Amino acid sequence: MSEFLTLTITAMVPFLFVAQGTMLSGRAGIFNVAQEGLMLLGAAVGYVVSLKAGGNVVGLVAAALAGALVGFILSWATTSLRLDQFVVGLALFFLAGGTASLLYRVVIGNDEPPRIAPLPDLVFGQDALVFVAVALSLFLWWWLYRTDAGMRLRSVGENPKAADSLGINVTRTRLWAGTVGAALMAVGGAYLPMVFSGVYADGIVAGRGWLAIALAFFGGWRPQFILAGSAFFAAMEVLAQRAQVSGIGVPHQFVSMLPYVATLVVMVFAFRWALVPQFLGKNYDRESRIVG
Amino acid sequence: MSGIRKTFGPVVALDGVDFTVANREIHGLLGGNGAGKTTLMNVLYGLYAPDAGTVEVDGSPVTITSPKDAITAGIGMVHQNFLQVDVFTVTENIVLGTDSTKLVAPDGSTQTPAQRIAELSSRFGLTVDPGARVADLPVGVRQRVEILKALYRGAKVLVLDEPTTNLTPQEVDDLFSSMRAIVDDGMSVVLITHKIRETMEVCDRMTVMRDGRWIATVDKADTTADDLAATMIGEIAGGDAEAAALAQTAQVSLGEEELGEASLDTSSEAEPEGAAADTVTPTPARVTVRGLTVAGKGGKPLVDDVTLSLRPGEILGIAGVAGNGQGELAEALTGTRSATGSLSVDGAELVGRPTAAWLGSGVVYVPEDRQRDGILPGAGITENLVLGSHRTRAKAGMINWRAARTEAVAAIKEFSVKTPSAATPCGQLSGGNIQRVILARAFAHNPKLLLLHNPTRGLDLRSTQFVYDRVRRAASQGCVVIVISEDLDEVLALSDRVTVAYSGRLVGEFARGEANPYDLGRLMTGVGA
Repeated sequence: MSEFLTLTITAMVPFLFVAQGTMLSGRAGIFNVAQEGLMLLGAAVGYVVSLKAGGNVVGLVAAALAGALVGFILSWATTSLRLDQFVVGLALFFLAGGTASLLYRVVIGNDEPPRIAPLPDLVFGQDALVFVAVALSLFLWWWLYRTDAGMRLRSVGENPKAADSLGINVTRTRLWAGTVGAALMAVGGAYLPMVFSGVYADGIVAGRGWLAIALAFFGGWRPQFILAGSAFFAAMEVLAQRAQVSGIGVPHQFVSMLPYVATLVVMVFAFRWALVPQFLGKNYDRESRIVG
Repeated sequence: MSGIRKTFGPVVALDGVDFTVANREIHGLLGGNGAGKTTLMNVLYGLYAPDAGTVEVDGSPVTITSPKDAITAGIGMVHQNFLQVDVFTVTENIVLGTDSTKLVAPDGSTQTPAQRIAELSSRFGLTVDPGARVADLPVGVRQRVEILKALYRGAKVLVLDEPTTNLTPQEVDDLFSSMRAIVDDGMSVVLITHKIRETMEVCDRMTVMRDGRWIATVDKADTTADDLAATMIGEIAGGDAEAAALAQTAQVSLGEEELGEASLDTSSEAEPEGAAADTVTPTPARVTVRGLTVAGKGGKPLVDDVTLSLRPGEILGIAGVAGNGQGELAEALTGTRSATGSLSVDGAELVGRPTAAWLGSGVVYVPEDRQRDGILPGAGITENLVLGSHRTRAKAGMINWRAARTEAVAAIKEFSVKTPSAATPCGQLSGGNIQRVILARAFAHNPKLLLLHNPTRGLDLRSTQFVYDRVRRAASQGCVVIVISEDLDEVLALSDRVTVAYSGRLVGEFARGEANPYDLGRLMTGVGA
């Protein structure tokens, strides 16, 4: 049982980073849908840089920077250029995923990939990022609801025109929220080779990025509920792996399906109470003349 | 502000406008819809970047490129559609975007945000509950929050854009006394309105705008309501008859009560059937509604047990503050939303039948949101006019487009739609012209029950007059007309009978001439007459 718990906590970390990043961008109105690609990019950059520069910390920082760049492109294209968020997000999903694959092939080629050192345990058999992820969630909750800057960010996602009319710079807020959010997503991806596999592979993310979007809705775009929700998603993932290994009489495909089914079921009900930011995915144009 | 010019693509919204507000005055900015009043103030508030022109505050020129600059310059604006974050509390909405650490009270001591809000609301009579979520508040209170937002930021000039829309007469009185208190405290107020009565009631000076141009600035003492009406309407190309008709509409839609009464008399003369019905035997009802109910979430119906009986040629006005079930009622009465109960036109029961059957029985709906519910914005005028009659029009599934185009061209002429061609997408037309297209389509169905919801909202004077003319003409031909409007003056001017929508029910009923705005105002807020 304690092993199950340990595994669940570890599995929770990527979900937490990615879903909190989604939440942070979304609360400012940027609906990022490139999570899957950003995680792949983070995993590839994190792996390659850790390997070549010799250190997981450098790898994590590099992954975060790569994610930030993609997030900045998304935010810039949807604020300054007012392009459709969904279309740009999907394009960046392909771009980031393809870049990840390319980077791996260029650096490693077809050789047997060397394993990078796993993240060292800090206490209780858990690595430092576990604590960072949980602390980040609590910090985001405090920051969003207790600080002036958090209130400004929320107002931009709820009603950018109101925020603008009160002197809040909507474009700047969205730029940095989208950038930081994507950086968090890439860190969530970089965690995968550093803890689970030791190497990068194109299938390493395995849909976690898409699940993280569902998780943001599931958690009602609130950091504290996303923290709880990611534990649930992680437990489902571990359960599915268990079933695959031990064979509990149920086809493992069925158990692997559970997180997705659970997501679907939850979404049907969650939409009744989920508080989605009013301007999630919608661009803001000050001079648009909808109101005559 | 001087020489302000602003264009939106090919449209010149403001053309060299000069505007000056003095210290300690309530300045009325008066004009019909589309005159450019709001655009001018949006330029002042930094929401629109002007193409030309300068702004001076207290004698020194300022550059305003964003609302932040405007706030710094001491300008505050209350928009017609409140700019509030619905899920935030009153306090959060007020302090949003401000630095809460450096508040100084009038006596020089430091203040907390809560103290500042409490002080402002008691000083200017703007009572609010600081902890309430704004989404849960009625319009009148949300407006006080908007005013407090501007005052909290130290506004010296407060711009109010059509602030009386959706307020009851009682709330309007409160608002006006708060405005006076604000001015007495050394600030200035700009009141954007299209209602002459309001400027005469509360303003010290007024500026009239028309077609994006400055027309005149006058002191209240030197003018009369008639002069203002004439200035707003301007020169009429169509001769005396059109000028007289337009002036009449202006007086109604601009809220000039006494003159409004005069126009009522004229319109009832134009309806001999209606007049005769009052003195001779009552005509049998043409439209009968019994117990019409639309279920809502949580057991509270959206439309609650509405019962009506309407004679041919009768115009029923339904007043009320927005959000009291008017939209649902309109849809239920026209068969576009499922309801229980009964509605019959000339004895034919329609509830539960498909929309096509309602249309076939002559039930026609002119919805509130023209762009969203009234037209296909990307389709041409011809296509939009064919909609609804497409079934009867089609032969073997094919529509004769040549005939449809010919009819569309005729309709464009009859309804004076300003458009380059019959193929122009409806979304590119102005609000007034879209409404004309919708009316052309409505009358092509030979309506027996015509329902209009906020039919003149956002329309310029000419289009407003056009709508009123058409409504009266339809009634004189025996059509039953229901006008649901949040504009009390409009309801009073058009209707033979007036009732009030409150919380999904229809409360009170007044015959023409018996309705008093304050009685209606009490009903609109749920206080029994």
